[in-house]
Amino acid sequence: MTLPAKAFQRWLQGIAPDASTADVCRVSGIKRTTLAQQLVRGKISVSTVVSISRAYNINPVAALADFEPYRELAGPPRPPTRCELVSQISTPDLLRSLLARQAMDPARRSREKPAALSPAPHATSVKNWVDAIDDGEVRHRVSAATGVAPQNYSAQLTANRLSPELAVATALAAGVGPAGGLVATGLITEEEAGWPPDARQAALDSMSDGDLTALAGDRLQALGKVLRRQEHDQAQTEKIWENLG
Amino acid sequence: MIAILQWTTLAVCGLIAVARIPSALRGKNRSLFYIFALMTLAILLSIEAPYVAIDQALGGSNIANLLLRFVIFAAIYFVGVRVTKGFGAEGAYRLITGRAGMAVLLLISLAMVAVFFMMDTAGSSAGLVGPARKDSRNGVLVEYYGAAGRAYPSYVSLVLLPAMVRAVGSRLPGLVRVAAGLLAVGGIAIALTLLFPVIPRDWAAVEFVVNYTAVLCFVIGLALIWAARVKNGRTAGGRETYTEK
Repeated sequence: MTLPAKAFQRWLQGIAPDASTADVCRVSGIKRTTLAQQLVRGKISVSTVVSISRAYNINPVAALADFEPYRELAGPPRPPTRCELVSQISTPDLLRSLLARQAMDPARRSREKPAALSPAPHATSVKNWVDAIDDGEVRHRVSAATGVAPQNYSAQLTANRLSPELAVATALAAGVGPAGGLVATGLITEEEAGWPPDARQAALDSMSDGDLTALAGDRLQALGKVLRRQEHDQAQTEKIWENLG
Repeated sequence: MIAILQWTTLAVCGLIAVARIPSALRGKNRSLFYIFALMTLAILLSIEAPYVAIDQALGGSNIANLLLRFVIFAAIYFVGVRVTKGFGAEGAYRLITGRAGMAVLLLISLAMVAVFFMMDTAGSSAGLVGPARKDSRNGVLVEYYGAAGRAYPSYVSLVLLPAMVRAVGSRLPGLVRVAAGLLAVGGIAIALTLLFPVIPRDWAAVEFVVNYTAVLCFVIGLALIWAARVKNGRTAGGRETYTEK
């Protein structure tokens, strides 16, 4: 989950040789106590490295590639697949663009184009990203490669979270660009991962009406399941209050 | 040591009962107030000094012990009804309030009353220690009487147990799950009281600890659910005023 403090300090020496810890914190907006604690424990969080590299105008992906567990991130960025790009479009954006399609609006009543896509990540971006690159065996391969139990992996996806290592491991297991998962988890931006600015919009536009409708249907079905479960939990809790509160 | 345990339990339970008075006056879940009040009375009647005082007032023939048993039955019945309703355990609810539950209650009560009147019960003594020492026949009868008195609470708590274990592993609020865990521990403790006849006599302290663990677990468990609702009401307070109109 974390990076060793020694490697971090070596890296920091390389990018800001004369800066004190206080300087680094001020420039990068990290709380001094947070960084001090991470240094004392010898465990530097990945987001600390990302914040510092941004502050010193270094690409966070390149910065992370300096650390042993993230070697795979080195080298020129690999372009994302269309599935990955579409997975990083939020469900509301997807639905809006579907409603503007010919198939949904034959009379072309709404003349205006849907607004620009909101930036990644979105409420279910992690789960959608893994689903988009999963050939059915990816979860097993990640589990085998990292030793993380499948149920723990699933629990992270359900919570729309994924640790940076697992995100990279998942991308490798699926054979896609290594930084895609870091975009889906919101650790880095699309731009930092080397995704072209309008890549998501272009991927969306290239989808046929049928594919887009089916995808929107899948998203709605998953959302419905989550909402129903929340409602069920809520009803159960209310019943307990009613009888025992 | 045992005296401390007894009086602490009495104080905790009595305080919670008093704290429930305002909501009982407002008509909110009155049975919860009855549960706490009945439990307070039951604890009072199981401590030697108050027991002797009350029993003397009732004629000094240990009729207070019979009263204590029925107070416990009433308290555990209400606990069973409220908890099964609250946690949506319909099968368990039927096992307590349905024909089976009523038959169990009736049979145990009849047996208990019959044994009580077969005994020579003169001389107030908590736990019927005095009458048990009179002769071997009385000693055996006190054992049977005690077993009957423990049978109904054990029945109800065993019926509750599966629902409580399920609630611990559910997605209910944390405090409610802790409460369900306490109710489960209390239920197991009550069920363990069935084994008292096989416990060696020198281990009387074990019986006390098991009894009071059970009572404390139930009382604190129920109070925690109440606390969880109060906490929930506070965080959702702003929203509630909107929806109530």
